[in-house]
Amino acid sequence: LLSISTLRRTGGRADARTAKAGLVACVLLSALPPVRLSAQGDVDHLAVRFASMTAVTGLEQAMVDSLRALFPGSTRDRAGNVTLTLGQGAPKRLLTCPLDEVGYVVGNILPDGFLLLRRVGGGGGGRMASPLLDQQLEGHRVTVFGTKSAVPGVVAVKSTHLTRGRVAPGAPDPVFTVDNAYVDVGATSAAEVQGLGIALLAPVSLAKRPQLYGERLLAAPAAGRRAACAALAAAVRSKPKVRGTVVVAFTVQSLYASNAGLASMKALLGPFDDIKTAALPVRYLDTAVETVALADADRLVREIVQWMEGR
Amino acid sequence: MKADGRTGGRAVGVVAMVLLSASPSVRLSAQDSTRIAEAQSVLAPLVETYGVSRAEGPVREAVKRLLPAWVKSETDTAGNLWVRVGQGDPVVVFIAHLDEIGFRVTGIRDDGTLELETRGGFISSLFEAQPALVHTDKGIIAGVFSPRDSGFTRHTPPPLRVDVGAGSRAGAMARGVSPGSTVTMPKQYVRLTGTRATGRSFDDRVGCTAQLLALRRLDRAALKHQVIFIWSVREEIGLEGAAAAAASLSTTPRRVHAIDTFVSADSPLELPNFAVAPIGRGAVARALDNSSVTPPAYVDSLVQVARARGIALQVGTTNGGNDGSEFTPYGVVDVAIGWPLRYSHSPVEVIDLKDVVSLADVIQAAAETW
Repeated sequence: LLSISTLRRTGGRADARTAKAGLVACVLLSALPPVRLSAQGDVDHLAVRFASMTAVTGLEQAMVDSLRALFPGSTRDRAGNVTLTLGQGAPKRLLTCPLDEVGYVVGNILPDGFLLLRRVGGGGGGRMASPLLDQQLEGHRVTVFGTKSAVPGVVAVKSTHLTRGRVAPGAPDPVFTVDNAYVDVGATSAAEVQGLGIALLAPVSLAKRPQLYGERLLAAPAAGRRAACAALAAAVRSKPKVRGTVVVAFTVQSLYASNAGLASMKALLGPFDDIKTAALPVRYLDTAVETVALADADRLVREIVQWMEGR
Repeated sequence: MKADGRTGGRAVGVVAMVLLSASPSVRLSAQDSTRIAEAQSVLAPLVETYGVSRAEGPVREAVKRLLPAWVKSETDTAGNLWVRVGQGDPVVVFIAHLDEIGFRVTGIRDDGTLELETRGGFISSLFEAQPALVHTDKGIIAGVFSPRDSGFTRHTPPPLRVDVGAGSRAGAMARGVSPGSTVTMPKQYVRLTGTRATGRSFDDRVGCTAQLLALRRLDRAALKHQVIFIWSVREEIGLEGAAAAAASLSTTPRRVHAIDTFVSADSPLELPNFAVAPIGRGAVARALDNSSVTPPAYVDSLVQVARARGIALQVGTTNGGNDGSEFTPYGVVDVAIGWPLRYSHSPVEVIDLKDVVSLADVIQAAAETW
């Protein structure tokens, strides 16, 4: 079991909610007896699959569509949450997993074909992101989600060769911010950009390339959230014998507008006798290599199933 | 191209970049599309092969697989790959480098994380908090470059380490990691819009590719003298392979053409003082960099060679060093030729494939007609 002492905070303010959830998960998981789940093998596959997806907070439609395809009978509520109701009668409980992530949208298209960005989430109205979050864009691949297709691009970075010798020793060394992020999709004009189906407000994220390493460690942006959602999905797919009613919700906008997705969930379908949010401890939080142990996701599946079955 | 810190402070910004307005622009036609497809078919596998300086073996083998069937190659004791074509003097050398920037493992900590030293010059923050690959005798081990845990107000991270999830020194070693293993980041050749593409280590896999493409199209019967193509090692850590090749050839060659990156300021982040060779407008005569100055008469000759065949060629000056400069102490003239590259030594270098074709054509023309 990943111990709390091994969790590393890598940037910004400590995320008290996540840390607390991780602590609770660790304590609970260590005491749980094994549960036989036919779908337990789903976790690795689903975690990698979910970690490959992009769901910029408030603009989660593509991932929402994928989840709805995964769960026939699920619905999308007016806020955008994916919900699935299992069982019937009392008690009525809510099982949630936030699926969104801090990301970007196209804020401007320049005449020479470069795109400029605006960050969405991570700065007020939700959890503060690491001061280095934007710096992870610099010199890396991004995906621009245009209306015609997902368009690969890169964020410009100064050439090493042209920088050397032109920066005075001891000069300020400020972090890279999104205001310096010029996205290059290979276009040479604004018209060419528009021809690709890219317009203002198109979602943009780091190119998602989940990396498995060590003993079933998964590294990816927002890996902890995605693995927790994978655990929830795997638990549901194992067809547990639900006690009472359990509303399963993959919620949107947890990182913006005061967790609007969950709040609307409660307003629309509540009240609930109990609410459980799937969460996992992570290492390297808020980085492109946020790491989660899939063994922890296995344990979370078992915990969720037991909770759903009222055991 | 070597990021040369020795002379980087020189005020070289005053030299004008001259675009050859008379040269035809490189346009896509049916024929060009075929050429671009061929260029990509050679370049993509080379870009997706790993070869940090001193560990170029996989790249060298990939180049050998892509050589024309008639070619006989040899590898010297330094690790350079040689192909000799034609007979007679004056001998002309083309040289592109096989290696790429990266890291080497220098130690393994008690917690299993790997201590690193750099191979070549680059911005270290571009590797921080990214997936990592450790190249061991047992194969490639996945890991991550650990994010910093302090100093969040600085762009530059502390010395990078790699976490392979081992948890202990013994665990890391059991996976095959040892001091001396090289470390890279996963890389992928990706097409962008139009004829543009992104990837890591275009510097100098584009040069390697252009030499291969030129060899494939070379009219051997037209050669008036011997032409030597070299794919060199250890360029990024001090032009070491080129130094060995130059020493072995001594004063024999008349000219050497370093085929290497022209680091372009064609980017919204760069100063426009020099190096403003736009991508997509053809190869570049790299007339002046931090390691060599091509005599103006030779630049003019190269321009004439390109113009005679209707090949797009730009002329400019940029930063960095090149392999050809190791030959100049032997009286060999370095006429470096490059292609414009955005975002050099980053994970997202950007090229235009039209420039790769143009570069291959310039090499072929220089070999056959000059």
